[in-house]
Amino acid sequence: MMAGRTFGAKLAAGFGLTLALTLLMTATSALTLRYVLVTKDKVVEIASSSLTEAQTLSALMERRIGDYRSFLLADTPAALATVGQDRANFLNQLSRVRDTLDDDEAVKLLDTVAATESQHNARLDELIAKRQKIKSLTDTSQLKVEGMKQAREAVLSAIDNLIKRIKKVVAETRKESSDRATMAIIFLIGIGLLLIASAAGVAWRLSRDLRREVGAAVGHIQSSSSELEAAAAQQASGGRDQASAMSEITTTISELLITSRQIADSAQRVSKVAEDTADAARTGDATIDQTRASINAIRSQVDQIVQHMLSLGEKSQQIGTVVDLVSELAEQTNILAINATIEASGAGEWGRRFAVVAEEIRKLADRTAGSAKEIRTLIDDVRGAVNTTVMATEIGAKAVDAGSRQFDDATNSFRRIAQLVATTSDATREIELSTKQQTTAVEQVNSAASDTARASRETEASAVQTKQTAAHLSTLSGDLLDLVGTRGH
Amino acid sequence: MTASVAGRIERLRQDFDRSFAEPVRRHDEEHVELLALRAGGRPYALRLAQTAGLHPDRPVTPLPGPLPALLGLAGFAGTVVPVYDLAALLGHPDGENPRWLVLASGSPPLGLAFHGLDGHVRVMAEAIVGEEANEGSRGCLRGMVGLDGVSRPIVDVPATRALVHALAGHVLTEEAGR
Repeated sequence: MMAGRTFGAKLAAGFGLTLALTLLMTATSALTLRYVLVTKDKVVEIASSSLTEAQTLSALMERRIGDYRSFLLADTPAALATVGQDRANFLNQLSRVRDTLDDDEAVKLLDTVAATESQHNARLDELIAKRQKIKSLTDTSQLKVEGMKQAREAVLSAIDNLIKRIKKVVAETRKESSDRATMAIIFLIGIGLLLIASAAGVAWRLSRDLRREVGAAVGHIQSSSSELEAAAAQQASGGRDQASAMSEITTTISELLITSRQIADSAQRVSKVAEDTADAARTGDATIDQTRASINAIRSQVDQIVQHMLSLGEKSQQIGTVVDLVSELAEQTNILAINATIEASGAGEWGRRFAVVAEEIRKLADRTAGSAKEIRTLIDDVRGAVNTTVMATEIGAKAVDAGSRQFDDATNSFRRIAQLVATTSDATREIELSTKQQTTAVEQVNSAASDTARASRETEASAVQTKQTAAHLSTLSGDLLDLVGTRGH
Repeated sequence: MTASVAGRIERLRQDFDRSFAEPVRRHDEEHVELLALRAGGRPYALRLAQTAGLHPDRPVTPLPGPLPALLGLAGFAGTVVPVYDLAALLGHPDGENPRWLVLASGSPPLGLAFHGLDGHVRVMAEAIVGEEANEGSRGCLRGMVGLDGVSRPIVDVPATRALVHALAGHVLTEEAGR
């Protein structure tokens, strides 16, 4: 139920429980005392009122007996008045006794007293009347009334019985009251035992929790102290290693510094070379422009060649047409010569001589036709050559175009190289600058490394101190465990 | 090339000049004038003496009739001449229209059409492999001549005329045929 609460809360709960039980016991005691008081008051009341009144009744009866005897002796009016007054007092007292009674049997006895008193009063009235008749009393026997004595005895007896009864009631009430007081005492003792038991339980529980929890915590502190001690030892050795490593680092950084300076020198040289290369690239750019102009001139001349070739082809075709005309003329001449021969063969001697001329004409026509055929062949050759030349020239033009494009590519590449060289130059200058900055930074790192080495030595010293403190803490934990009483927990 | 052409011109001029210096020649019996021609893709020869004229590209008006060899009618110097396809007459008709036309000598007038003219040649009479005239009918061909390594059958115009007449249903006497 208390698990998980703080120890302070447990203490508060224990004391709260004890306090509550104490309050309960205080209240119970007050109530019990009050009860006993009421019971005793009742006993005292019965004793003081009922018994006193009853005994007063008895005294009044005795006084009345005395008074009416004195009347019987003197027979004076005063005495008679006293007798009457006595009866009134007695009846009055009787009613007061009735008021105080709450016991049924006592009330019955009181009724008996009243009944016997009224019988006795009747006898007494007889006696009084008898006495008033007597002028001179010489002998008491004159006053003899039958049953007077028995009536008086009965009244007294009844009063005694009442008193006895009331005494008995008082005794019973006292006994009952005492019993109740005893019961209350026993109850209070029980409550007190319960309180003691619960207080003892709370104390035991608190003690146990204190031992268990504080002991456990202190145990943890002790083990943690040991671990801390070990860690401090490790830290001390680590600090030593670190210090030696830092000195190695310092040495390496010094070497790095030297290398850095060498890199800066090399970068400066590379920057110079890059600038020279950029100059050469600018010179190459002018050469490229000249070459481009030459290529364009070649291109236009190739175009002119193609035009001339095409014109030559056209002219060849026209020559061919003329040659066809010549061929046609030769053929017609040939036909005419043949027909002339045919005609001449039928014209006798003159015809034969004409036939010779016609044959000559025919031979000329044949030769003309042959020459025309040769010209035709030559023209075809020329046209084929022209076509081949045009094709070759166009291929050449395409090659020039391709060369021009490739030259453009080469130019672009060259310009790109020039740009890259410029970029390289910039980058090299940046490298130079960066290397100088790096050298400065390395120098700073060197001093920082020295600082770090010093800090490592300080760390080692503080670790040794921490170790001592942890050992001290461990001893303190053991002492605290002894105090709590869970040594060896 | 130019030198050879110049030489040819020179030689031509000399030949031409020499022809005027030569004595007058006569076409005697030992020479035969021939027309080398092509009909239906085959080489033939034809005696020039048996022709009356050679004409290229003459318009021929087609004539309806049952003879496939009859191409139609053509006009020559006011005369209407029937034109026959020589190739069809020789038995191997060709689909193409013949370009050349030769007029047969004699009457009635007859035109023979053929496809190609190879030229006009004069050969020695011995070069012609002759046949006997009465050796029996062998169609229109009479003899053979070798020209430039090619043997050409010689088409006999009178025999051809006789064949045409036979096809046309005419009956001719031997004299009329000559």
